[in-house]
Amino acid sequence: MTKKIKLKISARLLKKKLRKDSSSGAKHCRFCNNPGLVSEIDYKNAGFLRKFLTERGKILPARISGNTCKYQKMVSREIKKARIMALLPYCATLY
Amino acid sequence: MLRYEMLFLTIPEITGDETESIKSYFLKAVRSAQGEMLSFERWGKYRLAYPVKKNDYGVYFLARFEVALENRDALLKDIRASYIFKFNNLIVKNMIHRLEGTSLEYKRPESLEDTPTDVDSFLKKNDMEGLLKPRGGFKGRKPEEKSIVGGVAGKAATSSVNFDEEDEEDFEDHNE
Repeated sequence: MTKKIKLKISARLLKKKLRKDSSSGAKHCRFCNNPGLVSEIDYKNAGFLRKFLTERGKILPARISGNTCKYQKMVSREIKKARIMALLPYCATLY
Repeated sequence: MLRYEMLFLTIPEITGDETESIKSYFLKAVRSAQGEMLSFERWGKYRLAYPVKKNDYGVYFLARFEVALENRDALLKDIRASYIFKFNNLIVKNMIHRLEGTSLEYKRPESLEDTPTDVDSFLKKNDMEGLLKPRGGFKGRKPEEKSIVGGVAGKAATSSVNFDEEDEEDFEDHNE
């Protein structure tokens, strides 16, 4: 009996392959190997934390910002503190 | 000794006397707990990210102090009580936060008092002096065009004068 060959490839796998072949290169965390930047993660430094918000005021996922898990947790914690003190918005209509 | 910092947000209409009263109260509270006040800073007026108690603006203050572990709980309780009962009409938001690490440096967002309201000084500061020129230059362009036209006319005029002079010379020559 002949072996069945899978002709159809799922869209997810195709996308994955495209991403691998693309020339943009792998994302890297901006805090790894950069201890000077890590000290800037502070709830008082709202201008810096604004880089990790979308224009509607949501926290940017690590998938997009490229942060590693450790620093993403730090950033999101500080953003939440800054939101309590009204330095950053919970949700913004106009930014 | 443990280091703490408290950031609190007050209403925008706060006066100098009221800030002094808050500062003196915290100084007294920290000293009575055998601690030390490290700093008391006024950040300035800010536009808030969302209205707090119907205020669109607010003034931030940052105070830092040191206390021993034994007196810490009593001091924090005292400060939190003062937020609720004594200064409840002035302070609208507060946060007490444990300081880790030795450095006391920090960065804060730019307040409305720091930002220049004058457009020219803002452009100078950010090296964008030529940015708004086309708008102002439109008025200045017309006289330039006029001057070019005038220059041409002047040349024509001078040339005509020259012609006249030559003519006169010719006349003089003829007369001689």
